[in-house]
Amino acid sequence: MTKLEAKNIVKNFGHNGYKLKALDNVNLKIEDGDFVCLVGPSGCGKSTFLRIVAGLDTPDGGEILFDGKPVTSTGPERILVFQEGALFPWLKVRDNVEFGLKIAGIPKDEREQISNRYLEMMQLTKFANSYTFQLSTGMKQRVAIARALAMDPDVLLMDEPFASLDAQTRDLLLVELQLIWEKTKKTIVFVTHNVAEAVVLGNKVIVMKHRPTSVKKEISIDYKRPRLTEDENLLKFQKEIISELRPEVTEKSSSE
Amino acid sequence: MAKYLGKKIAFYVILVAVWQVVAMADIWPNTIFPSPSEVAEDLAYGAADGSLFYGIATSMWRLIVGLSIAIAGGVVLGIFMARVEIVNQTIGSLVLGLQSIPSIAWVPIAILWFGLTDSGIIFVTAIGAIFAVTINTYTGVKNIDPNYIAAARNMGAKGSQLVTYVLIPAAFPYMISGFKQGWAFAWRGVIGAELLFSFLGLGFLLNVGRQLNDVSQVIAIMIVIMGMGILIDGFVFKRIENKVMYRWGLR
Repeated sequence: MTKLEAKNIVKNFGHNGYKLKALDNVNLKIEDGDFVCLVGPSGCGKSTFLRIVAGLDTPDGGEILFDGKPVTSTGPERILVFQEGALFPWLKVRDNVEFGLKIAGIPKDEREQISNRYLEMMQLTKFANSYTFQLSTGMKQRVAIARALAMDPDVLLMDEPFASLDAQTRDLLLVELQLIWEKTKKTIVFVTHNVAEAVVLGNKVIVMKHRPTSVKKEISIDYKRPRLTEDENLLKFQKEIISELRPEVTEKSSSE
Repeated sequence: MAKYLGKKIAFYVILVAVWQVVAMADIWPNTIFPSPSEVAEDLAYGAADGSLFYGIATSMWRLIVGLSIAIAGGVVLGIFMARVEIVNQTIGSLVLGLQSIPSIAWVPIAILWFGLTDSGIIFVTAIGAIFAVTINTYTGVKNIDPNYIAAARNMGAKGSQLVTYVLIPAAFPYMISGFKQGWAFAWRGVIGAELLFSFLGLGFLLNVGRQLNDVSQVIAIMIVIMGMGILIDGFVFKRIENKVMYRWGLR
């Protein structure tokens, strides 16, 4: 069943009368329970697309359909995990995880049950009462993921959440995210410019063109899980994606 | 801070000792330059008959009411200015202008509007502090990481929830500096207004000292005003500030 569908999404950015076309007719379908990675040169508008899906930005043309219904605003069924986590520094880890539940008016004991579950899943139980500045970058991203999962969204939108992590922490989280996906059966849309990351995570990798961005190619990755970054069998997928991506990156550097 | 406590105490002991020595040298008559022991005597006298505590209580009460009004009003105004551009362009420009008026300059209009009453003094106090709170709140809200707001909206926060759960706590490090500035302006405003209104409070006691030609009372009250300032800054605002800074990992 189609969970998310993007139909002819267009987005322009205006700047002093100069118009920049960021997204040009992006069309894609994402099935329920799928793990999709969007790969493209950095600055190509992937994040913009994700924000439109989340309802945080409105497209200048086209529409996003969620379960067949057009998306007009943000909704708890589509939760975005930000690149830098966007955790609230004035709240403890537990209160960060419970934020959306509190907004929704869920009573305290129930909130606590839910946050306990996800804190445990993300191995954060010990840090429940810490403030975010006391955590490493990797820990922060765990909190961000726990906070998103606590909302129990249908779709998890992830905007380069591992971009600022060191390699070891990233490898660890790449495996964990696969396990979470298998456990929770969420639909995940994961934006990255890192090809290795995309092939480890995605059932499907969608290669995006450089500005104006649209879908260039969809590549299915049929391979057992959990996948590891160093697995050589994944290299052929990486090569295929890189050969699609290279002309886009070249175009980017020549246009800049 | 504790590291310097000993040196701090030594500094004040030396300061008072030098003062005492200069006073005892009889360069000026003690009606112009009293000794610290005379000032202390005056303080003790004021404490004994209760007039000092009554003065402190009156001034503090006016400060608390005035500052509370300034904080409540300033926070609301600052948030509106930051979030609604038309409010910023209109009221915002007026706020910047009004901020340049010293609180004392509001005294004449306060007397005309409220008469020689508590309300008049509280008005001067509040108006002296409100714009500092407003401008700092405005800056704080403007500087909020847009991702905090986006994340909160994504999780369903809107309207008043967005204000109470995100805008205010996210802007709080700036707001607390606004409160600190506001408090300093308010304290000056109270004392200044009391001097001119000459209607109870520490400022009034200063005036009484002048009328009685009692320099040691004037100095004693000035020391009390300073002491209250140090106390409130250290015990109220410094504490809140430290707590906020700690949470944010800024200290």
